Amino acid sequence: MKEVLAIIRMEMISKTKEALLKEGFAALNCRKVMGRGKKKVDFSVIENMVNGTEISSPAVAEAMSEGHRLVPKRLLSLVVADQDVKKVVDIIIETNSKGRPGDGKIFVMPISDVIRIRTGETGEVAI
Amino acid sequence: MLMIRAIIRPEKVGVVLSELCDAGFPAVTKVDVMGRGKQRGVKVGEVFYDEIPKEMLMIVVKDEDKDDVIKIIMKNAKTGTNGAFGDGKIFVSPVEEAYTISSGENGL
Repeated sequence: MKEVLAIIRMEMISKTKEALLKEGFAALNCRKVMGRGKKKVDFSVIENMVNGTEISSPAVAEAMSEGHRLVPKRLLSLVVADQDVKKVVDIIIETNSKGRPGDGKIFVMPISDVIRIRTGETGEVAI
Repeated sequence: MLMIRAIIRPEKVGVVLSELCDAGFPAVTKVDVMGRGKQRGVKVGEVFYDEIPKEMLMIVVKDEDKDDVIKIIMKNAKTGTNGAFGDGKIFVSPVEEAYTISSGENGL
């Protein structure tokens, strides 16, 4: 069993959920996180957007540029069987890739056991 | 590759993040979490708090960079010189694969 952790753009979550559901991966966990990647975010772009009229409220820009200069993202986590990892990774890359930095990362981590609380089943049947 | 999960005090996040960036580890994900440790929480007067707000930093690094990152976090997340209860924990777990979504590339 493997855990697939994907950090994706905020606005891509519903598309990703839909795409995963279509292929039969309904079970997932998701939460809002803040993060930064390897490439430095160019905050002058945001400042210019505020000085122009694209972002009307300075508070929004402040929230985006403060907080140690982290960007809001979604952290998606799903546990799948070994043979499904490739498929899930491909679906996430396909739906989220815009070819630009900031699209996100996917990490695959080992899971040693899964237990279903309702029945106490363990192993792959419990996923 | 290894994932380093550090649960630290919220007020220490700023200094830890800037030190990590200076040391060449800019990529990080921050999650707001609540938790308690071995001390079972904090007692203030009559009230016992067992859900203390913390921040979890998730950093994925190459195996050889693990010690550097841990050293930086340890140094900067400590309260005072000796540290105090509640400064947090660091967990390290293996990561088998990493993909960059924009290019579909395998690897960090």
